[in-house]
Amino acid sequence: MPQKQPNSRESRMSRVLVRTLAIRLAGVLVILLLISFLTYSLVYLAPGDLVKNLLGNRPSSPEAIAQIREQYHLDDPFFVRYLDWLWAALRGDFGVSIRLQQSVTDAIASRIGNTVALALLAFVMAAAVAIPLGILSAAREGRRSDRAFSALALLGLSAPSFALAILLLYVFAMLIPIFPAYGGGADPLDTLWHLVLPAVALAAGIGAILQRITRAAVLRELQSDAVTFARSRGLSENEVRRIALRSALIPIVTGAGLILTFIVGGTIVVETVFALPGLGSLLQESVLFKDLPVVQAVTLLVAAVIAVITIAVDLSYLALDPRVRTKELNR
Amino acid sequence: MSRSSTRPRTRRALAAALATAAALVLSACAGGPKAPTELTDSGKEIDSLTVAFPGSLSNLYIGQESGILNYYLASTVQEGLVGVDAAGKFVPALADTWETPDPTTYVFHLRDDAKFQNGDAVAPEDVVFSLEQAADAKASPSTSYYLSSLESAEATGDREVTIKTTKPDAAFLSNLSSAGALVVTQQKYWEEHQGKVGTADSLLLGTGPYRVTEFQPDSHVTLERVDTWWGELPKTKQIRVDFIPDENTRLLAAQKGDVDVAFNVPINQAQQWEKIGGGRIQSVNDLSYVGLLFDQKVKPFDDPDVRAAIAASFDRTAVAEKLLRGYGEVATSIMTPESLGKAYDGDAARELLAQVPQHEFDLDKAKQLLEQSGAGGFTAELTYPNTGPQLGIAAQALAENLKQVGVTLTVREIPIEEWLATIGDGEHGLSFMWYFSTTGDPAEINGYLVGPDNPNHFESTEAASLLDAAGAAADPKDRIAKLLELEKLSADNTVNAPLWWGKTIMYFSNEVGVHEFSPYTFLGPWGTQLYAAEAAE
Repeated sequence: MPQKQPNSRESRMSRVLVRTLAIRLAGVLVILLLISFLTYSLVYLAPGDLVKNLLGNRPSSPEAIAQIREQYHLDDPFFVRYLDWLWAALRGDFGVSIRLQQSVTDAIASRIGNTVALALLAFVMAAAVAIPLGILSAAREGRRSDRAFSALALLGLSAPSFALAILLLYVFAMLIPIFPAYGGGADPLDTLWHLVLPAVALAAGIGAILQRITRAAVLRELQSDAVTFARSRGLSENEVRRIALRSALIPIVTGAGLILTFIVGGTIVVETVFALPGLGSLLQESVLFKDLPVVQAVTLLVAAVIAVITIAVDLSYLALDPRVRTKELNR
Repeated sequence: MSRSSTRPRTRRALAAALATAAALVLSACAGGPKAPTELTDSGKEIDSLTVAFPGSLSNLYIGQESGILNYYLASTVQEGLVGVDAAGKFVPALADTWETPDPTTYVFHLRDDAKFQNGDAVAPEDVVFSLEQAADAKASPSTSYYLSSLESAEATGDREVTIKTTKPDAAFLSNLSSAGALVVTQQKYWEEHQGKVGTADSLLLGTGPYRVTEFQPDSHVTLERVDTWWGELPKTKQIRVDFIPDENTRLLAAQKGDVDVAFNVPINQAQQWEKIGGGRIQSVNDLSYVGLLFDQKVKPFDDPDVRAAIAASFDRTAVAEKLLRGYGEVATSIMTPESLGKAYDGDAARELLAQVPQHEFDLDKAKQLLEQSGAGGFTAELTYPNTGPQLGIAAQALAENLKQVGVTLTVREIPIEEWLATIGDGEHGLSFMWYFSTTGDPAEINGYLVGPDNPNHFESTEAASLLDAAGAAADPKDRIAKLLELEKLSADNTVNAPLWWGKTIMYFSNEVGVHEFSPYTFLGPWGTQLYAAEAAE
């Protein structure tokens, strides 16, 4: 009988976990629905004319114009068009890109690899450099190295990514020709090689934010009562630091999750500069062209990824902090 | 174009001479700090060339997307019944001969060795089918307008196609070239892809010297030479067209040596491109027209005096020579001199076009016209597309001049997609018109800007009848005479204010030569015009 106790506790905890997850996912679905409506409205209201985009600056016959208006239901009321799209999307049909005359899923599938690889590479670079620098900065607060790291972060934060991208190209593709100047590469290894400079351009800004967040979090923990108490107990400096770092993990992970969502937006600029076929450039071209099926699908995909990252970050608190675990799972 | 490929064997010797001549001309154009490079055809083959386009193509079929870059790409992959040579004159393409037994009938004889890139012979039915698709508003929204006078197309023999038009239309033959509206493809291929051709999945099938082997929008198109073309085998085995939208990246890629040929070098970067070691820039009039458009539905642009005042406030000479650094020629009319090529050479054409009444730069006159109109010191906006920074420079110059006559002009850059929607929208009274003619037909641009349903909302039965008369004229000179009357009508009423005829600037690595560099070169099978160059001794 006594053995049953923890089992029933565990099953209760997992039930709570499943319920929490289910509520969060339901929330995500509502948000996605709202985003889909907002995006549709914004693209609909934005200046520009799909007919002119398709026909270009040249004379056109009234039949061709009527044909296009009919084909893309441009004369239907706004809500009818949105609901048509929504109904199809709910059945998994995201339609055909007006600009590319290719199914939206194919258009996304051919580009998603580049963008995912670029975002992950940039994230790994940013985290691998910024977190250790942030910790070092905090540990050496006020010293010369702290000031140097902070200045570096300021530089990364204030340099616009397109300017940084051009600078990187000039230095590492032109003056010291190590990396290629543009394009996506022919095979996986070549692609990775092509992604290094774009990833650095993308990582600089977000790495700087992460460095600042890490520094602030570690600094706060180093000045906390717990650390003072640990020191008073005579623990070694290494052990004290371990305690501080463990407590600082939650804000750092939150920061890391946040910057991962920034990366997705940053790909638009970087992909254009490096002529990389990815989702960022696809989204940009599609917004300008008023290619609603693609804009809707890419926006929702990005929103869903951000939502999943946020949930994963929240779940990580359970693993990282026993206090959160106890509080959340015993409600 | 491509005279050397029309009769290849007899032209080989001439090609080498032309190459040297072209190289001399280009070195004269290039200027800059480098010593002029004299190039000659080494006769060697080129394994692969990288060509940079300044923007991506979304679809390769010109009936679906018809930007100037689409035409450049399609021209070396697909052919029409006729082609256009370096001087703008018709030459055989898929048809080796044709007759016009009456002004509304055309009989074409297909060449016996015409083959698609998959090896199948071209049947007259394929030509008829391609033409019908090109004229269909649903299948080909971009080209259908140009074939609106098509009445019927029929296969009338093993190698014969007969095409009839609803009325005599002098521009019709131009539209049967790949620079116009007709790119012949195979009916079987079209049906296999349910008409969705030119996409990343279906690619493109034509009869030209290169076939498309790969297409990734926002990335690249790969072309491979074929031995199915009726002309001489091109020297370059593979052409990879990379889409590099950022102008700085494009320049860096060329400086690094990654790019062999670049289209549409921006005017503001021309000097930097000129300095690239081992390369050169060449420029040529590109059949484009830039002018001011006045929407007569919008006040105060309904007043001819206001329009004339604005036209007189634009200093065309200063803009063309200084701001455009000579990469633009003062336009005296909407028609370009090159579009008169079927009847007049360049000098004669320029002389004729200068006879059209001009709005000379005169701020005193502009002030007087504004007072006369009673419009007073009004405010207007002039937008320009982000892809045409030179239009922005010209707009700023105009705004400065207008300030002196009491008109406030705000200048704003907008994305090209947004700009397209402003043309003739009934809200923007003053706009730019920036038009790339592909056919080089003299009525292509002025028909659009002065004829029926023009974006200026200028209504004139006289303009319509002049265009009809021009369309019915059998002799090119008579036709041009009618079109000059149309230009006069436009100028007298200041319907449009022509500003400059554009030039395209291209970059070539010195390892690549181009036999004939003319406004029409890249609107024909240009892959055959490129050769492996070496410095002449």
